[in-house]
Amino acid sequence: MTKNRLKINIGPQHPSTHGVLRLVLELEGEIIKSCEPVIGYLHRGMEKMAENRTYLQYLPIVDRIDYLSGFFNSFAYCNAVENLAQIEVSKRSQYIRVLTMEMNRLSSHLLWLGTFLLDMGATSPLFYTFRDREVILSLFEELTGQRLMYNYYTFGGLRHDVSDDWLDKVGDFVKIMPKKIQDYEDIITNNPIFTTRTKNIGVLSKNSTLQYSITGPNLRATGIRVDYRNSKQETGNKEHNSHGLGYLVYPELDFEIPTAKTGDSFDRYKVRVEEMKVCLKLISQCIDWLKSNTGEIISPIKQHLLKVPEGEFISNVEAPRGVCSCYVKSDGSGNPYRVKWRTGSFYAVQILPKLLENTFYPDLMAIFGSLDVILPEVDR
Amino acid sequence: MMKKSLKPFRDIIALALGHLTVFKHVFKRPVTLEYPEKKLPLNDNFRGEHALVVDNEGKLLCTACGTCQRVCPSFETIEIEKEKNESGKFYPKNYTIDLNKCIFCGNCVQYCPFGAIIMTKEYELADEKKSALKLDINTLKKNYSDSIIKKTVKSKR
Amino acid sequence: MEYLYFLYIDFLHKYNLPEFIGMATFPLLPFCMVAAALILVVLFLVLMERKVLAFFTQRKGPNRVGPWGLFQTIADAIKLLCKENITPTGAEKFMFNLAPLLAFVPVMVVWGLIPFSSEFDFMSYSVSALLFMTIASIPTLGILLAGYASNNKYSLIGSFRSVAQAISYELPLVFVLVSIVVLASSLNLRQIVLAQISVYPFCGWFIFPAFLGFLIFFICATAELNRCPFDLPEAESELVSGYNTEYSGMKFAFFFLAEYAMMFIMCAFMATLFLGGFLSPFGFYLSERFIHNDLLAQVLVYFEQVFWLFLKTFFLIFCMMLVRATLPRLKSNQLMGFAWKVLLPLSFLNLFFICCYKYFIYAK
Repeated sequence: MTKNRLKINIGPQHPSTHGVLRLVLELEGEIIKSCEPVIGYLHRGMEKMAENRTYLQYLPIVDRIDYLSGFFNSFAYCNAVENLAQIEVSKRSQYIRVLTMEMNRLSSHLLWLGTFLLDMGATSPLFYTFRDREVILSLFEELTGQRLMYNYYTFGGLRHDVSDDWLDKVGDFVKIMPKKIQDYEDIITNNPIFTTRTKNIGVLSKNSTLQYSITGPNLRATGIRVDYRNSKQETGNKEHNSHGLGYLVYPELDFEIPTAKTGDSFDRYKVRVEEMKVCLKLISQCIDWLKSNTGEIISPIKQHLLKVPEGEFISNVEAPRGVCSCYVKSDGSGNPYRVKWRTGSFYAVQILPKLLENTFYPDLMAIFGSLDVILPEVDR
Repeated sequence: MMKKSLKPFRDIIALALGHLTVFKHVFKRPVTLEYPEKKLPLNDNFRGEHALVVDNEGKLLCTACGTCQRVCPSFETIEIEKEKNESGKFYPKNYTIDLNKCIFCGNCVQYCPFGAIIMTKEYELADEKKSALKLDINTLKKNYSDSIIKKTVKSKR
Repeated sequence: MEYLYFLYIDFLHKYNLPEFIGMATFPLLPFCMVAAALILVVLFLVLMERKVLAFFTQRKGPNRVGPWGLFQTIADAIKLLCKENITPTGAEKFMFNLAPLLAFVPVMVVWGLIPFSSEFDFMSYSVSALLFMTIASIPTLGILLAGYASNNKYSLIGSFRSVAQAISYELPLVFVLVSIVVLASSLNLRQIVLAQISVYPFCGWFIFPAFLGFLIFFICATAELNRCPFDLPEAESELVSGYNTEYSGMKFAFFFLAEYAMMFIMCAFMATLFLGGFLSPFGFYLSERFIHNDLLAQVLVYFEQVFWLFLKTFFLIFCMMLVRATLPRLKSNQLMGFAWKVLLPLSFLNLFFICCYKYFIYAK
């Protein structure tokens, strides 16, 4: 450490680290010379916890890995167990899963948008996004019984069916939402302060995203159209073979995957905002299907006595913060032998030192905020 | 591509649009919920404090089978003291739920084969003493009679 | 003034107090009045800021303490007064304690320079506009000291930023002020206001010839006040709370008070320079028109003038709050670039334009 460098600690208690991330920065004036993320302040032993619980007992805990998008974790785990135990999931429950997951993605992106802009110093959008997120959470509460820890999916289906009444409410919400998104865009997208702060800041190259296994909107902002929801893939890397593409009923739905070109903070913002619009499109398609079709939502298995045959499975889900994978290895007993999680935020934190080098200190927020890192997902 | 010379004007228009968009919210109704006075309406699915279902004759539906213990994700949350009655059926002599450990996942309600346990809409559980969060069988019965939802006694699933 | 003095001496005589006490204390009275008025205004301003921001974001704002939340700031102030005054270990104690005073006292002084009505101002000098700018830049020193003395890296960076910002934004600010001085041909603030009187209502206000200057002044004033979008010194997402991170209780209250008071004074100054200060926007005073009792009307005119000044000030403050609600924060290098590359040339342009205007049109 040279003499004119200032070592500064951001976190673990700092208003803008979105949890308990600690960044050790070395500043030269206002220029960041090095950055070292220190993680682990929120480690709860999520993976170890699975080993002394039955499959069903572990299910409610899974929601807490990423508290902003509980459905995705829940689905990743359920999907792995269902594939191992060969449980069929009915079409209707698949549609409801897509519906709830897309709503969850929307709520997660809304929270990200609000906090990102708050980090950048704009206060009002936070309240607007929270106002709209509140509507989604209330709908979730009506459906599942709680606002964040849903515990709604079970092996082979869902806990209970959605009512037409609820679907109507979601339909109303989808109708008003595009106007609200337009509001956010009016406030921020062309704002010269915002654009100069984010354009060409924190540029992720195609190569480094692949090297660092960045997934999700952060990857798509660089121009690589990889989305596990889509069955047709155009990866930059030919060797990149992944299974579980086009899971659930996504291949039947009509949607496009928004991408951008440069991979800077602004593009990441843009991709997420576009993704919110795609979410709305998917939600309305699901509502239409669910209103015209009926069916069973749960397969008749004894959930609490579930024994999974020996084997292992990885299920990949396109979560709001990148691919969320759940690896389950079973030894044939009632408890999973090993559960391993792979979550998008962890890799986003990993690339921070590289991205932050030789940037300005105020850029820290523009870069770190745009990566959409959530700490419980990093530490698990 | 827009001309670069036009950029200042576009910037000013964007700034003005932003300010207008924020200003327009002045005329909208506040969305604040003044919490202790007004509360969000809760529906029947809500997962709040537990209650043990009592039938019309004042008997518990619970048979102390222990399914709720087996599906509960946190250990030692539910404790049941089992006893046989005159007709040879099991019933819980004591049934405690420790809300300090409960994560309100609702598994016990979902997987109870007799529909003997429900969750009420009560969610303001803060108390001065930790022991107040340990619900014994009498509290759970009382919760049921207090609860607004009187679920019709569910038949065996 | 003399009449008031005799009244005061008379009042003291009633309680058998000698005249020299009156002589000694009389000059202090206006200052006490100024201080009391300022604190009341600030208390209202804090509430207004919270309420207005709440309305922009579809909330209700404080509404628990007193009717419509009126006593919320008073409750907050009492809370701050009751809190412990912590001096962190390793801090420069003397400077640490001096800094809040340095930030607060100049604010009190410049408050007295604003002409509240055509007859009544506390301090009126021939160069009061210049004096205003000079004293108004002293709080920056307090901020620098606070950041330096706190022994906290966040505070230090925050105070550096504050100083850099103040220096670069002072220049366009003064150049715009010069253009106003050219228009009014006076450095006295009251003369500047009186120069804005015209035959038609509000057409003589300097905002019309110097609209560009007004915009520059507004932006620079926002930067001087460290308000959003120029709130880099206290950017909470980067620097926790900037230069006042380590301050608590009464000392924090001083910074807080100084910040809001300065905001009010800056807006009043802006209203004085551009919006005709205490002049009525109708070209005549309401009390003159509607009250036929001459003596009463003469007294009421002064109060009406204060009312107009406050109305204009609050309008400007409302604009500042709207800006705060909308814009994200600038980046430090962007901030400097904006001041030196955009605002300074524009302020020259404004000055040039005003000089031409004065020479060719206004003087005739």
